Amino acid sequence: MNNDSKKKSQLNSSQNAKVGENISPTLLHFFRRKWLSIWRGNPPGSVLLLFGVVVGLIMSIPIIYVMWRSLFAGVDSWVRLLDGRIPQLLWDTFSLTFAVTLFAIIIGVSLAWIVIRTDLPGRKLWQWLLALPLVIPPYVGAVTYIIVFGPSGWMRDFWRDTSWLVETFGDYSLNIYSFWGVFFVLTMFTYPYVYLISSAALRKMNRNFEEVARSQGMSTAQIFWKVNLPFLRPAIGAGAILISLYVLSDFGAIAMLRYVTFTAAIYFQRAGFDTASASVLSLVLILLTVMILWIESRTRKKNKYYQTSNTYREPEILKLGKWKPFALLYAILVFFVSVLLPISVLVYWSNIGIRMGALDNRFFGFAWNSLKVSLFAAVLCMLLALPIIYLKTRYPSVITTVIDKLCYAGYALPGVIVALGFVFIFNNHIPILYNTFIMVALAFVVRFLPQAMQAGEASLSLVSPRIDEAARSLGYPPWKVMYKVILPTILPGILAGGALVFVSSIKELPATLMLRPPGFDTLAVRVYFEASEAIYHLAAPAALLIVLVSIIPLRYMLKKY
Amino acid sequence: MNKMLKLFLFTILALGLVLAAACGGNNEPANEPENEKVENEQDEQPEEEVVELDGEIVVYSNRNENFTLPLLEKFEAETGVEVVALHGADALQIQEEAGNVQADVFISNDLGALGYLDMQGLLEGHDFEGIESIPAEFRADDNAYFAISARARGFIYNKDMITEEDMPKSNEDLFDAKWAEVENGYAITRGGNGGMIGHISALRYEWDDEKTADWIKSVKDNAAGVMEGHGDIRKAVGAGEHAFGLVNNYYFHQQLLEPDNNNVGFIYLDQEEGQMGVVANAAGAGLVKGGPNEVNAKAFIEWLLLPENQVAFVGESLELLINSEYGAVYPAEVQPHIIEFTDLKVQDMAIKELGNYFEDTKALIEQSGLDLELR
Repeated sequence: MNNDSKKKSQLNSSQNAKVGENISPTLLHFFRRKWLSIWRGNPPGSVLLLFGVVVGLIMSIPIIYVMWRSLFAGVDSWVRLLDGRIPQLLWDTFSLTFAVTLFAIIIGVSLAWIVIRTDLPGRKLWQWLLALPLVIPPYVGAVTYIIVFGPSGWMRDFWRDTSWLVETFGDYSLNIYSFWGVFFVLTMFTYPYVYLISSAALRKMNRNFEEVARSQGMSTAQIFWKVNLPFLRPAIGAGAILISLYVLSDFGAIAMLRYVTFTAAIYFQRAGFDTASASVLSLVLILLTVMILWIESRTRKKNKYYQTSNTYREPEILKLGKWKPFALLYAILVFFVSVLLPISVLVYWSNIGIRMGALDNRFFGFAWNSLKVSLFAAVLCMLLALPIIYLKTRYPSVITTVIDKLCYAGYALPGVIVALGFVFIFNNHIPILYNTFIMVALAFVVRFLPQAMQAGEASLSLVSPRIDEAARSLGYPPWKVMYKVILPTILPGILAGGALVFVSSIKELPATLMLRPPGFDTLAVRVYFEASEAIYHLAAPAALLIVLVSIIPLRYMLKKY
Repeated sequence: MNKMLKLFLFTILALGLVLAAACGGNNEPANEPENEKVENEQDEQPEEEVVELDGEIVVYSNRNENFTLPLLEKFEAETGVEVVALHGADALQIQEEAGNVQADVFISNDLGALGYLDMQGLLEGHDFEGIESIPAEFRADDNAYFAISARARGFIYNKDMITEEDMPKSNEDLFDAKWAEVENGYAITRGGNGGMIGHISALRYEWDDEKTADWIKSVKDNAAGVMEGHGDIRKAVGAGEHAFGLVNNYYFHQQLLEPDNNNVGFIYLDQEEGQMGVVANAAGAGLVKGGPNEVNAKAFIEWLLLPENQVAFVGESLELLINSEYGAVYPAEVQPHIIEFTDLKVQDMAIKELGNYFEDTKALIEQSGLDLELR
């Protein structure tokens, strides 16, 4: 497609230049008409288009490569895995994904409703306090819960030293290394996705509908189920897909809590260099992801609810009455387990670690590595995102849609798969870049480019195409218009996108683990290794720094929802 | 738009054009600018410190980072060569990178892995100065790899939960299902653990594959816990989560140093008359063929062979030196429990034979139902 489109557009421009001078062959006429009709008479410049096509291809190559490898993994691997491994993995992965998604929705929606629609004391404060778990990567959360509830954690000590507990319940028997441990940790650190989206939806809900319902004699509970919830369905669906895709792709929390899903299995197969099995498992995981995306797009099509904006009135705040203490307790409880406790544990161990000299040259070396690779990825993403979103918004067509979709491939799929593709490609075909930090940064670009695109798109949608036209009329080619005229206008949006990519990169774990060159550990990698060796005084300062950095995009997220 | 922002934008643009060109060329040959940049970056650092050696050395190690790091830092300090280390590396990574060799030296916990790499032609022999200090049965014929420290397999047990008399004393004992009944049961590592692979290779040498497969099945069925590594086992046994666990002897030594949970004992397996002797393994290093810094790699190995550095190789691991006369120093808590390697009854198979079994053993373990990786 790449070469074709280039040729076509070149033909185009030469055609344009020679209009009237030569008799064009009919075939060319036909192609030209076809080409123009694809673009609705407004084709982009060839530089811009070529750029977009190349970026789209780069984004999807790792995944295509993994699929290709899995086809040649040999019947042996397929039979062995289908017989023994895959059914169990499917069950473990599915049950966890389902349970976490369900409970994260329940917690997220209920909290959003309480905070937005009731007179909860300090509701303005709670609105953002309850979004805070967003800044704690689940693997960091897992570390803190192992420290507290692990087999030799604080809780065990407390239990052992409290005689009535031992007498009534016997020995400490809580097992954090179990389905329930993983379920709990993932739920507590992913519910904010649903919470934020539902809050936004609830805030926009028109009061008129509820008043009609109330006039029909419905109670608050009935209104919630019959009026609010249906309106929330798109929000819930969006949150559910974010969470279930996250659970499918999570590696850190799952590995630390010794539970194995597809993602972890792929990582471990790869770590043992059984690449054939790793690619077979990857293909299954790709199918699972595509299935979830498909289910989501199906349900979204069926549920469309419209709100009339011209009669919009703010929803009224409901009185909690006797439920007030319970609602408050609920909010406090969730805040305690998802923010206060983990942060306290990190601060406690960081304090010990810093006094033991954890902030030494090695630590700053790791921090510098993290910074370097994340910054590099962020800058690359900002640069690559711009042409794509420009193409997409100014030149809508089948081709741009395909490019756009290709760019999302790495975003929807787990990092281990992208990393697996990168290992194959670079080791075999681009050896010069193999085992360099650039390889890691490029993997981040494939993973997180859509974050930069989304942020930029929001800004670009506010810029009138008239501005482009004016610039074009002065003789600028499209790519020049983009960089000279559009970029300065939408810079804040692009920078916000870069910040998002930066933060996602700095906490990314599985791809970094698989691709980091020798001697290039990042903070995330150190948290993983130190925590799995139970050296918490070294893990905690790195984890705390990651959490602090993650606060950067919180403002953006809160503004967006 | 103020001036600062414009300047920033311009910088990004300028940077970006270079990067975009390089990045766009990912699947096309046109990516020179970026390559040069990488190489320059790597060259810059060593130039500043010119001692007798310079440049860098890439070390892949599958030993615990805490044992290897001080050794590598010592080398760095004494020679000025920058050590670029990949800890937790798998031997097979060297095999996979054979077309694009990255490592200069591979340090391994398991002589079987080194032997395997040598058999694949991935290691290179050399007439190292000081190599004769390593007994012939602990090094390859062409010295492509060699061992420095040894460990023996056995059971760490929690003295609060089980007495020495009640413990199993041989590999054969583990066929008995009664060990599943012990309070809190016992623990083993996952099948893919280097120590476990070595152990099972030794059993295959002593018995046959069928009996070994039965042994793996019994152990898998009767064990109460399957763990990622031996460190997890010693901690769990010390804390009373399991009554005993199959580990290497130095994990017992390490547990003795813990401030609490240290009431543990150790059983060396199969020491009686007519029994097979303890399963042993050794840690050592090998020279990777075609590595990027060959001169430094050879210098590193000769440095490693100095008696002082053989001691440093053992480091905090509390393993036993093959050359025990070099005198590794153990903490006071551990010293009384040290049994020199020469005083143990060891299996018949020469440790460097392990490499011949490496690959088939992994297959047998998986077929017998013990997963190589944790599920």
